[in-house]
Amino acid sequence: LSSVPLQILFYVNGIYYIFYFLATLAMIVYKSQVFSYPDDFLAPDLALLFIMAILEVLQLYLGSKGNLTEEEAPLGLSLVITVGSVILSVYFLVWQTYVLKADVIINAVLLFTYGLESVLKVIAIAAFVS
Amino acid sequence: PPETHAAAWARTRSGPAPVTDVAKLCVCDLLVAQCDVNCCCDPDCSAADFSLFTTCSVPIVTGDSRLCSQKAAIYSLDVEANPPERIFKLIDQVNPSVFCIHATNYKQAVSFSSPEMPTSENFDQLLERFGSATFSTEPDSWNMDTDAQNPFDANETYRYEYGVPIQTVDAFLRLPSPVVSSWCSDANPAGFLVNQATKCTRSVSVEKCDNIQAVSMLFYINSSILAVNITVQSVVVQSLNGMRTLLNGSDVLRLPVILDELCINIVLGVSYHITYTDAGEIIEAAASFVLGAINKEALSIQQSFEISFTQVNTKPVPLSGNPGYVVGLPIRAGFRPQGYPFPVEILFAALVLNTNKYSQLTILQSTSNQDCLAAQGARTPILFGYNMISGCKLRITAAMKCQPLTQTLLDLLKGQSFPEYVASFGNSQTQDVLDWVPITHLHTSEQRIYTTFQSSCQIPVSLEIEVKWTKYGSLVNPQARIVNVTATITTTTLKQLPSGRERTIPVTSSVVFTDISSPAEPGYKAWPTINAKLPFDFFFPFV
Repeated sequence: LSSVPLQILFYVNGIYYIFYFLATLAMIVYKSQVFSYPDDFLAPDLALLFIMAILEVLQLYLGSKGNLTEEEAPLGLSLVITVGSVILSVYFLVWQTYVLKADVIINAVLLFTYGLESVLKVIAIAAFVS
Repeated sequence: PPETHAAAWARTRSGPAPVTDVAKLCVCDLLVAQCDVNCCCDPDCSAADFSLFTTCSVPIVTGDSRLCSQKAAIYSLDVEANPPERIFKLIDQVNPSVFCIHATNYKQAVSFSSPEMPTSENFDQLLERFGSATFSTEPDSWNMDTDAQNPFDANETYRYEYGVPIQTVDAFLRLPSPVVSSWCSDANPAGFLVNQATKCTRSVSVEKCDNIQAVSMLFYINSSILAVNITVQSVVVQSLNGMRTLLNGSDVLRLPVILDELCINIVLGVSYHITYTDAGEIIEAAASFVLGAINKEALSIQQSFEISFTQVNTKPVPLSGNPGYVVGLPIRAGFRPQGYPFPVEILFAALVLNTNKYSQLTILQSTSNQDCLAAQGARTPILFGYNMISGCKLRITAAMKCQPLTQTLLDLLKGQSFPEYVASFGNSQTQDVLDWVPITHLHTSEQRIYTTFQSSCQIPVSLEIEVKWTKYGSLVNPQARIVNVTATITTTTLKQLPSGRERTIPVTSSVVFTDISSPAEPGYKAWPTINAKLPFDFFFPFV
């Protein structure tokens, strides 16, 4: 049977991620205006944000598909992609050029969500395999 | 060993390390080893000094306030205690904003960078980066703008804008002018369309006069303005007593030469006349010289320089506005040349313009003794926008006859050459006939004529010129345009005087400018009409 909590979490994650993406983008624009943000520091930050968006879309799609069709392969792939998203989230939490308090808050929430999601995915994979 | 010595020297040459500890930072500590007044953070102050302070000039020392948490040193004076003592607190200041900087991975963001100390190795590189007037802080994105002078191609014409220095083959066309003192400086470039006239002093001596470059004609016509050579237009020779003679055959170059204790052919004045096209190219350049002579006692001479610009195919008439009249500039007027009785004739020669600016439309100028006949000929030009009134007193004796008196008064009021036409715009060309407004003449009489017994003499006593002008053109930049000029002569009866008696009559002339412009009406665009037509079979089944 598909995991209902995992599906709910995917839905919530999707909505939260849209908010996260817009907020991070707006804060990068704010930082570039208020602080000294040279181009060679700004470009990697923006690029990684867009890569993270792509990874997030992939992860949510594959995870949702795997959960609903009760297949472990897409779910496993989604778990691997989640690892990449976690690394990027840690980048935005710690290694970004300017880390504001708001960045810390939203990234912490995102990491918590990823953690919960990963646990539920593992449980679902275990359920589907057996 | 030389390596360590160089390294040590390089180390000592670096600047002092920046102070970042807020407890040790004190901006009011200006005097070394002495206590600064009211400076609570000064380490040279003792408790006895603190008791004498009134306030703390520096109450708080913090780092960048945009950081989320930072150390702050707070200094305050406790005035309640006896004696007053200084309180020093080191606290962690928290920025409550959610957008405070939690961490930063970019070192230059929150601290000033220490500048590189120039050494013999990096001097050239530093000069390249910072040697110009502006430089950017990011060396990677800094691109060198090579502003090298483009070498001129003598064949291509160079277009000038107003004020741009006129280029010659090697540098600029120079107009020597006095800088600071009255001595000539050769560094003043002539700007395009900037008419200049300067006078300056140059030191000379008879012995060395053929060596001084600046007094020889060659110096001023040597440099050619790109493709145009400077030709000599005329040469005037001024003798020692000041008399000037114009020479014919002005193509000869006269260089200074020593002759019997005098040095002749010294340049006393140069006047450049540059002809340009309306595209901004210089097509002709001519120079007129005034040459003089100096004797042994002369140590310095005064040289005068002038440059003027004329557009090709136009006569150099000074404009009174472009296109509308400018307040304060004289009104341009002229005559129709003889032999052209029909003003609507298209084949019309140009109106003969009085090119002398100050003898165009003029009125009588009042003199201090107010005697009309004593100051004949003193006239002042009529300036646009300035209403003027002037007058004088005429003493009439019994012996004066009517007709000559009338003629004298008319000459007095109108002047020798009263023009027939007035330009409606400040820049009206003489070829455009319709741009010129004829002067209307009116005659009125001072007294109402009761009787038909009119054998008495009518003499003109007042001339009133009324200039009606209107605002023409756009609402934000209206140009003044003269529409109508009326000259009214008022006459009065001259009663016969008993012999021996005299009478003084006042004679006045005035100019009045009236603005007859109608108030501007805004023009609105028409409301757009909604043109919605349904196809004719829209309501098909029902219609």
